[in-house]
Amino acid sequence: MSVAAIEATGLTKEYSNGRGCRDVSISVGKGEAFGFLGPNGAGKSTFVKMLVGLINPSYGSATILGHKIGSLEAKSLIGYLPELYRYQEWLTGEEVIRLHARLCKMERSTADQRIPELLEKVGIGRRGRDRVKHYSKGMQQRLGLACALVNDPAILFLDEPSSALDPIGRMEVRTILENLKKKGTTIFLNSHLLEDVELLCDRMALLNDGVILRHGKVSEVLNKRTSWHFKVGGFSPFLLSWLNERSGLQIRISTSNGDSTALEFSSSLDSSVVWLEAELENEEQAGWLNALIVEQGMTLYEVSHKKERLEEWFMSAVSGLSHRGERA
Amino acid sequence: MNIIMSMTWKELLRKRVMLLTLIMTVVFLIGFWFVAGAIGGNDSFEGTDINSAEQLIQRFANGAFILTFGFFFGAFVIAFLSIFSSFSALSGEAEQGVLQALLPRPLPRWKWYLGRWLGYVIFGAAYALLLFIAILLITQAHAAIPRDLFILLKSFLLFASVVPVIISISMLGSGFLSAIGNGVFMTMLYGAGWLGGMIDKVSGSLPLKPDALQSLQNMTGLMSLIIPADGLQRKMIAELFSFNELSGMLPINESFFGVADAIPSNSFVIYAVLYTVVVLLMGMYRFERKDL
Repeated sequence: MSVAAIEATGLTKEYSNGRGCRDVSISVGKGEAFGFLGPNGAGKSTFVKMLVGLINPSYGSATILGHKIGSLEAKSLIGYLPELYRYQEWLTGEEVIRLHARLCKMERSTADQRIPELLEKVGIGRRGRDRVKHYSKGMQQRLGLACALVNDPAILFLDEPSSALDPIGRMEVRTILENLKKKGTTIFLNSHLLEDVELLCDRMALLNDGVILRHGKVSEVLNKRTSWHFKVGGFSPFLLSWLNERSGLQIRISTSNGDSTALEFSSSLDSSVVWLEAELENEEQAGWLNALIVEQGMTLYEVSHKKERLEEWFMSAVSGLSHRGERA
Repeated sequence: MNIIMSMTWKELLRKRVMLLTLIMTVVFLIGFWFVAGAIGGNDSFEGTDINSAEQLIQRFANGAFILTFGFFFGAFVIAFLSIFSSFSALSGEAEQGVLQALLPRPLPRWKWYLGRWLGYVIFGAAYALLLFIAILLITQAHAAIPRDLFILLKSFLLFASVVPVIISISMLGSGFLSAIGNGVFMTMLYGAGWLGGMIDKVSGSLPLKPDALQSLQNMTGLMSLIIPADGLQRKMIAELFSFNELSGMLPINESFFGVADAIPSNSFVIYAVLYTVVVLLMGMYRFERKDL
């Protein structure tokens, strides 16, 4: 049986202020990219810190490729970019990476070859010879990524890896991560940038108030049936039941076209003009519904459709729930 | 562990605190040169113009006074260097986020801790050696100094022993307190120990009732046990000038700022060594369990 890259069972960290996380169980397969989401203060960083051996769990257990978390064997397999990243400001960027290489027991000749490659890869280049105290936040984050990658880790833990980067930097980091994923590196991504999770991760879990609220495959969320919106004129209520009966779909009157930035349907419009909303599987189904609407003498003004994004999934999951960020 | 030690040395050499310490040391040594000259006179004592035993003793007494004075301030310098180099070793680096990137590496925490401790201690001891030699050389230029190598070695070890004592306490404190909190705590603790030592030195000459004197001595004894730095310095002066052999020959208390009244025993030195080891182990234990 193949050993999971990360296997956590009931991992719990209790703090006197009630924070931390409770009974978190996840399993991440080798080569998988796993997104860990949650509002501020949900306990995400606490969980990651337990996995990399910075925090001792109160209860529960976890393994990294079969080795107990915090053990030297487990630590030798991981790379970690912390959320709060600061590096020895009296060292140069190159020296910081070399320090990490030496701690990973890397041969000097291997390090000599790998360090310039990494500096290039993360976009630091020749500035690797500058002292870290002259680096911007974004540069330090890039340096952190280079340190995390120095030992070519089997599992890469990233806690908000692009929080300080500009859009170009974010894209570059995303490309690096995509290449690592292709190479078979397991990635554990803790991020608020849902777009990154959406583009990179295979599975995800949503943590709120220290417990896992939802988890699942990213593709399942993104490939849910698309929501279609039809702006129709000459509408009368009895036509809705006719359409539902005829099409076998769940069609309902909507207040808008589904785009949160769009104007809501208002009484200033002709009351016979409405937005109809239906979840459809494909464009053929949408065409068929168009035909039905026109067949009944209604006027079709506009058709739009929108896939559910991770942001909506996230918002719908935590909406109405209390979370620690709002209490902080 | 060697990696962490060399990182520590690099840190100490590149940080401005070290540069400032070196500048202040040079300033102190220049000042000390003039003070030594004023006390001992500018004539060299290397010559053969010694006419009498009284003159020899006087020159030795001058040398003893200058050295005691020099080491009195030297002890301050190495104590503060030890405090300010190590007070933020754990909490400061954890607050900044430096440790969070380093400790997930395959290095046992105790090795990291010991590497840091050794880095600070070896560096502090090297600095103490330079200061020790500089003070001896300046004094030699103006007065007589002890020349027995074994005694000098023993004295240096006692002089430098303040470094591991203070660094062990400072690093342990850093496992519990914030960087600023620990800096304040260490300064106050060292100050209290120094004050206890001073009271101990002068208490014998104060017109106190035996009960009051006993209470005072109990208090100062307790302070010496909590932070044995000042006691070790007194022991160092006593060893350097072989107080046991000189008693009766020299006006000891005048030359040694009252040190002779309160010379710690050899048991105290053994206590200080054990104390350092226990505090070091406690620090390691604390660090092993600390959440970062």
